[in-house]
Amino acid sequence: MQGNTILSANKFSFYYGAKAGVNEITMDIYQKGVTAIIGPSGCGKSTFLRSINRINDLIPNTSTEGEIIYKGHNIYDKTTNLIELRQQIGMVFQRPNPFPKSIFDNIAYGPRLKGVKNRSELQMIVEESLKKSALWDEVKDNLKKSALALSGGQQQRLCIARALATKPEVLLMDEPCSALDPIATSKIEDLIEELKTSYTIIIVTHSMQQAARVSDHTAFFCLGNLIEYNNTDLIFTNPENKQTEDYITGRFG
Amino acid sequence: MRIILDKIFTITAWFCAIMMIVILGIYLLPMFSKGVTAVVFQGTVEFRELQLVKHGRGDEKAVQQELEKSEKLRNELRAIISEFRKGMNREAIGERIRDIYKDYKDELKNKGIEGDQYRTLYSKAKEIRNAFCDLLESNDNNFVLSELDKILAQRNNLNFESKLTQEMFRLAENYKHNVEKIDLARQSENETALVEIEGILNVLFGPELKSDSPAPLLAKDQFGMTRWDMVERQLNLILYEHKWVTNEENPDGPLVMESIPRKDIFAGTVMADFFVRLENEAEDIFKPRLTIYWNYFTDDNESSYFIGGVGPEIYGTIILTVMSMVFVIPFGIITAAWLVECARENIFTSIIRMSINSLAGVPSIVFGMFGMAFFVLWAQPQFEIDPEACILAGSLTLALLTLPVMIRSSEEAIRSVPQTYKEASLGLGAGRTRTFILVTLPAALPGILTGIILSLSRVAGETAPVLLTAAVAVGEVPDSILDPTRTLATSSYYMAIGDRIAAMVPHKQFGMVVTLITMVLLLNAAAIILRARIFKKLKGH
Repeated sequence: MQGNTILSANKFSFYYGAKAGVNEITMDIYQKGVTAIIGPSGCGKSTFLRSINRINDLIPNTSTEGEIIYKGHNIYDKTTNLIELRQQIGMVFQRPNPFPKSIFDNIAYGPRLKGVKNRSELQMIVEESLKKSALWDEVKDNLKKSALALSGGQQQRLCIARALATKPEVLLMDEPCSALDPIATSKIEDLIEELKTSYTIIIVTHSMQQAARVSDHTAFFCLGNLIEYNNTDLIFTNPENKQTEDYITGRFG
Repeated sequence: MRIILDKIFTITAWFCAIMMIVILGIYLLPMFSKGVTAVVFQGTVEFRELQLVKHGRGDEKAVQQELEKSEKLRNELRAIISEFRKGMNREAIGERIRDIYKDYKDELKNKGIEGDQYRTLYSKAKEIRNAFCDLLESNDNNFVLSELDKILAQRNNLNFESKLTQEMFRLAENYKHNVEKIDLARQSENETALVEIEGILNVLFGPELKSDSPAPLLAKDQFGMTRWDMVERQLNLILYEHKWVTNEENPDGPLVMESIPRKDIFAGTVMADFFVRLENEAEDIFKPRLTIYWNYFTDDNESSYFIGGVGPEIYGTIILTVMSMVFVIPFGIITAAWLVECARENIFTSIIRMSINSLAGVPSIVFGMFGMAFFVLWAQPQFEIDPEACILAGSLTLALLTLPVMIRSSEEAIRSVPQTYKEASLGLGAGRTRTFILVTLPAALPGILTGIILSLSRVAGETAPVLLTAAVAVGEVPDSILDPTRTLATSSYYMAIGDRIAAMVPHKQFGMVVTLITMVLLLNAAAIILRARIFKKLKGH
């Protein structure tokens, strides 16, 4: 594995009350490219992903140990500006969750938070984001339409566009295709393929085929522990760990 | 067994639903149909005169023309009464006879008639006078008629050529003419009836225009009957004598009402003509015409709602409702937001929740008492405001009254906003406050609107707390929020417990209640449409 590290977890643990959701994870995420996190249900892969932009802070009675370093700064430091952090580390959720607003307002939401008020500037950002998420051609004629009127796949691409609008460097994707049909899924996968040239993407997925198709690196989590982390090709062809092999070959999980 | 239970359940549900509809039908439909008559009715010429005089509405020339015609007919009818009166006013006749006798004596002296001739003439005249005065006292038709004949027999025998004596005979002749047609034994009853009829006629036609008497003080007495239904009611009182008599079929049972046409009672006299003409010409006099009185919703009332509309009541209701909404909406939403977003689950918050739930069930009069004690009597003097009922105190009390409802429905609405919206917003870098204002609140708006609808309907129709904190029965339209006001609900109450004038205008009472119901329904409809539109916009269909 090689490349410039953009994010690195250092003995990072996340506790729900007394129970550890993830346990002493230490891994480096490399710049530009797709890192997939796979593992059986309840293994803590989503918890880890959601810790990276601290969206887990919302859950009451949780605590963390260790650190996650982003660009040389521990994001669990008290001085972290959460708004800046979350704008730089965007997130796409499991289910498409556009706001009940127009397409335009959905995408302009992030930039507006940053204080962009100029209409033409917003227009530019919206167009750019929609083009990047390959949605522009489908919606350019009615940006005023409610986002909820779009199909599931379109909604998810809209959510990606919305995340891109804040100009992030890292994009966290929490099983982005699990609620979509195969055609919409393949569109999203194509999109990930395109985006990885300019963004660092971390994707949690249940589908090993998907992980094999889109990712450059793959991490295997089990029961809150990082079992194996390597180049995707190696993980799927020649796993070092027995557990990984069992999981990949479908013997458990 | 389960099938039977299922059947029973279905039947019960249907029964309840049908009962609801039937009750609504029985209760609301007559109310609406009566209430509508406050606005849509057969307006008479008096109504048009009133509108012209009081508000300058309508075509002045046309109304004047109608009035002139009507006045002519009325005067003719009134003339009949006074003619009958003259013929039957025995005191006046007696008075006149005595005067004539005195004047006649003077005349004789002036003419220089002396001695025996003088004595014979004046004693003859005295005889006639005495006989006349005696017969005027009598209630026996036969006696009176025979006496009158005796008097009239002397008309030509004597040298009574004087104008005065001729007048005396004319009076006798008139009186005879009248007595021939009526039963003198009933005369006192007729007198009473006549007074009653004249009284009703004044109500019906409005006061007789006389230059010497001042215009009546109350507006309701300045005009006649403005509505055809009221005209008909008064006509019935004039045309028929209503008496409670024993039921012939069941002498021991309750008395029954008997209506005797007055034209039969007065048959043969000039008055009979009066009743016939009144019955036939009533429509010509009043010219009833279908009138839609839209200004009912803007005009102030006069003489305890006898005339006019419910403008100030509507205005007061709206002001009070809007003011209390101004207080209750922000506080309700903020409290609900705090309960959902910020408050931890502990004893303190569960006590708060419990209090809110209990407050929602407290009777409104309790809030009224509290509002009166706290806002009016305690708080207002602290700010050097007279401790009198005012809109501010009333709306604050109403706000307190609906706060629990508002909080609970807003809480539900905010709680039901999907967590994913909040996550998305936070994931894009928004703080909690901004997430709430930009995402949660708009998404919760339909639910919050439901709470507002519930509060609005409750506040608009609330009576007891308003009576204690904001209402007056009569008064000016409020200038500021420190003035008391009238509202539809409280005025309905005052009217219901009020004086007999209110009982004379039931359509006004129904009109007020129906206005209130309609207003609440309209408010609800507006809010429901608004909610549906927001919902549609959110859903994007």
